[in-house]
Amino acid sequence: MGMLHITCKKATLLIIKKEEKKLSWLERWQLRGHLTICSLCRKFEIQSAFISRIAKEYLQSVHLLGEEKKEKIQERFEADRAGS
Amino acid sequence: MNYSVLNPDKWVSNYADILYAYALPRVSDTVVAEDLVQETFLSAWRARDNYKGEASEKNWLFTILKNKIIDHYRKKGKDIVQSMSDSAITERFFDEADHWTQDDKPLDWGIDYQQGPETKEFYSILESCRKKLQKLQQSVFAMKYLDDLDATEICKALGITSSNYWVLIHRAKLQLRACLEKNWINS
Ligand SMILES: [Zn+2]
Repeated sequence: MGMLHITCKKATLLIIKKEEKKLSWLERWQLRGHLTICSLCRKFEIQSAFISRIAKEYLQSVHLLGEEKKEKIQERFEADRAGS
Repeated sequence: MNYSVLNPDKWVSNYADILYAYALPRVSDTVVAEDLVQETFLSAWRARDNYKGEASEKNWLFTILKNKIIDHYRKKGKDIVQSMSDSAITERFFDEADHWTQDDKPLDWGIDYQQGPETKEFYSILESCRKKLQKLQQSVFAMKYLDDLDATEICKALGITSSNYWVLIHRAKLQLRACLEKNWINS
């Protein structure tokens, strides 16, 4: 127990902060210490990085409107133009 | 090149799809995304006399849309503190000592984490897990992974504190991980 001892909840938060390079030196030590003794949080760290990479790939895939909705937007836009 | 001419008759057919594709992952709501696209055309039409022809028509429309998305984030950010404290109370994942619970501890996924899963099934599970997150969490994911904004920039855009931000992203990651594990690994 002491400054270097952290819980799994705190460790998972620090893992996420680390991905964004926002750890202080103390937090870095705390996380390193926790990960040497906790295999669950080590697993979380790997899976979290995996999810970040996959989320990025997924979000970059393209979403389209569809013709029907485009027609609706066109109609409303024409009505707006006629009205202003 | 002469960019200076606007052609409003062609706006919807030329730009509706790309504007929508930009807006949707950032607002995580098809109806909101459609509305933002609609409003972009209307605002552009009303501001047509201000168009100087310095930017291309397309970039000009994108600038208008981006401002609308920022306004949307601002409105969302205002609701955040309330929803944050609610969700912070309903802690699961960790026991009283803040260690992993038996039910929610990370399991071995038995995959190569360097490789993508690349299956249709995985992506549809990912999508349904993502949709279970709060809209605001989804928007933060988009700002983070699509726009590469860092914590400081996202806080500024949403008008939230950095501790709010970390609680939000921490919970989103825990939820998403647990949902993927339950529906993909264990199925
Ligand atoms: Zn741990």
